[in-house]
Amino acid sequence: MIKSCTRCIYDENVSGISFDVERICCYCRQIETLSKDFKTATPDGEREFERIVDKIKRDGRNKKYDVVIGVSGGTDSSYMLHLAKEKRLRPLAVHYDNTWNTAIATQNIKKVITKLNIDLYTYVIDCHEQNQILLAFMKAGICGADAATDLALAEIMYRAANKHGIKYVFEGHSFQAEGVSPIGNSYTDGQFIKSVVKNHSKIRLSSYPNMTFFRFLRWIIFARIKKIRPLWYLKYNKDSAQKLLEKEYGWEYYGGHHLENRIASFDHSFLMPNKFNVDQRNNSLSAAVRSGFISRKKAIEEYAKEPVLEEGLLEYVKKRLQLSDQDFEDIMNGPIRTFKDYKTYKKRFERLRLLFYFLAKANLVPMSFYYKYCFPIKEQK
Amino acid sequence: MIAIINYGMGNLGSMNNMFKRIGVKASIESQLGRIEQAEKLVLPGVGSFDAAMNRLNAITGLRDLLEDKVMNEKIPILGVCLGMQILTSASEEGRQPGLGWIKGEAKRFPRHDTLKVPHMGWNIASRESASLLTKNIGNESRYYFVHSYYVRVDNQSHSIMRTHYGFGFDSAIGNKNIYGVQFHPEKSHRFGMQILKNFSEI
Amino acid sequence: MLRTRVIPTLLLRGESLVKTVRFGKFTYVGDPANTVRIFNELEVDELIFLDISASKEGREPNFKVLEDIANECFMPLGYGGGISSLRHAQTILEIGFEKIAINTQSFVNKELITEIADVYGSQAVIASIDVKTGFFGKPSVRSLGGKLNKKYDPVVWAKEVESLGAGEILLTCIDREGTWNGFDLEIVKSVTEAVSIPVIAHGGAGSIEHLRQVVKKANASAVALGSMVVFQKKGMGVLVNFPDREVLEEVLS
Repeated sequence: MIKSCTRCIYDENVSGISFDVERICCYCRQIETLSKDFKTATPDGEREFERIVDKIKRDGRNKKYDVVIGVSGGTDSSYMLHLAKEKRLRPLAVHYDNTWNTAIATQNIKKVITKLNIDLYTYVIDCHEQNQILLAFMKAGICGADAATDLALAEIMYRAANKHGIKYVFEGHSFQAEGVSPIGNSYTDGQFIKSVVKNHSKIRLSSYPNMTFFRFLRWIIFARIKKIRPLWYLKYNKDSAQKLLEKEYGWEYYGGHHLENRIASFDHSFLMPNKFNVDQRNNSLSAAVRSGFISRKKAIEEYAKEPVLEEGLLEYVKKRLQLSDQDFEDIMNGPIRTFKDYKTYKKRFERLRLLFYFLAKANLVPMSFYYKYCFPIKEQK
Repeated sequence: MIAIINYGMGNLGSMNNMFKRIGVKASIESQLGRIEQAEKLVLPGVGSFDAAMNRLNAITGLRDLLEDKVMNEKIPILGVCLGMQILTSASEEGRQPGLGWIKGEAKRFPRHDTLKVPHMGWNIASRESASLLTKNIGNESRYYFVHSYYVRVDNQSHSIMRTHYGFGFDSAIGNKNIYGVQFHPEKSHRFGMQILKNFSEI
Repeated sequence: MLRTRVIPTLLLRGESLVKTVRFGKFTYVGDPANTVRIFNELEVDELIFLDISASKEGREPNFKVLEDIANECFMPLGYGGGISSLRHAQTILEIGFEKIAINTQSFVNKELITEIADVYGSQAVIASIDVKTGFFGKPSVRSLGGKLNKKYDPVVWAKEVESLGAGEILLTCIDREGTWNGFDLEIVKSVTEAVSIPVIAHGGAGSIEHLRQVVKKANASAVALGSMVVFQKKGMGVLVNFPDREVLEEVLS
């Protein structure tokens, strides 16, 4: 019998999990703590957010834009744009194009920013370099092959904010909708990326916007750019958000979390479930259960279904990465490694735990970063 | 298995790609032995009428094999663009007779002030008569056309779809197991995919 | 009735997609195959790819990239850039392209247009004409990516390529390219009035209103879009997109 949480649907296979006496998992508890700290979905939380919005407006007074919002065409980031305009902010939308977008992603971005009259800054990585980075991660056997995209987006947002003198970045992360991603599944830092690429490819990073440790400190300590997660304060339901976006902007749903980008889609719907036996749909399903949007039973049923895989996606991946069927098989059957097998900043983050605690309190790094990066990870069974 | 006949005319790769995309088994064949085994045939064609007929007739045994498979065995065949025109009796474009499997003729589009020749671009084809080829096809389905000659069939019941370009002409024809489309389904997005899907299910 | 074709026209530089302004400064746009995939999903009418460095660098078309592009596409495709022989044309058409665009080579060896048209039909040949307005306001035809001034009048050259057998003309106004300022209606009209083959207007599209103008007032048979389909708006970030079909139908019918 596999032990599972009595509140959400995570079980003992989830990386870094532990259960308390009530058999409630540590992630549920983490979210309890975050909800309390941020007064999520309560009038107090809303007031706190309003306060932040007012400060953003004041600090951005003589500038062209007052906040940067990272966009992907997905639900959360599209909703961020809507929210920002509702609150009468003047956002700059920032998009990191890893050259594997779907049409739904780009059209969604277009529809929302056109109607709301928001400017867009895009950074496009060289497509060949991107292919080599992805291939390196696949050959390395890392779970979470798209680690590079997440980090690059964060770096690009900081660069755009810095360029325009903007002090605030909105991120559309919502623990109500997705929970907190278990550590070990998706570790990313600039040293890690560099190390994987060095060990498993022949290229040197050039157009890839890497966030080195010093760049990271530069953005948060010297440029003092704050990361705000509005959905940590406000009530948020993904379904309602999608309906609103569809109605207001003609926005379209792409079938699943992150499936608007083909690398993420390949990673979540094929690579992770088949090679690593990790199916990250349990994140959003668990979150939905915790927030009371669906029953635990329904979530378990949903989770048991096969992930949706776009027709022809595997052929496309093989084509772009120039992999024969055999090469692909070899990768699927290749060894599994984790960030611990490579040079990373992890130990540094752990040593600087106190510093990051204060930075988190000052909203200069997200609190979830503090929990995820500044503590050693318990080994899985 | 659908055989896309390679007799030296036409853009076969795209046709093959589209079948692959819709999950239908098809392959490009030039060897008679392989064509013989096919359950359905696609006859492509780009260029001129005489060139097509000459090429077809020049390949030893091909013409006879096709006559046998189509007229005797009655396997479904789909002629595309020029491939549809050579299914008919003749064309103003050339001197060679066509295959004559669907009685009719190809004529040149007349010179017109505002309508340029060739008819090139996306146009609507509406259903003229019921056919297995046009299942699930709406009235606003559009397809990519590029041709200077159009077909008029002798027997109205052989006209499956009509398109308007200055006047109405037959954009899809059919007589029992023999079908033809003037447009390029392999270049017509999901509209073309529906046609090829329907053909594969006949 | 035929709807006026609206054709995203994408520029290749080596194996990357770029966008230029007045044939000069360029911005990196992304991966050709993925961009084509997006346009395929958006069901655009047709696509044209132009390799802007092939002729300048004196090299052949990059057939591998063209193959990657062609097998993503379920709509008509045209290619131009570095084509200098019938063999090139044959290879490209066999890869899955419908049309060949000839520019620089038409000055070096204009018989090539006729050769290709004879074998594959006029509809497979696009004569690509780049036009720049000189110091005294007189437009003249350029080649080699705008670098060489052939000193021909565009109208005269347009008639020439028509008589050689080209099935269409892709008319690019270098001065307007990448500017979002609208097409050069005068130049476009002078050419559409002079020939009976379709003319695709290219260079300057910045809004739907520009499309309406060049089609209704200058009689272009089709429009080619560059910046409009790869950027969010003028001066802003890369975002592959295509105007709403219903809006196009309304404006261009």
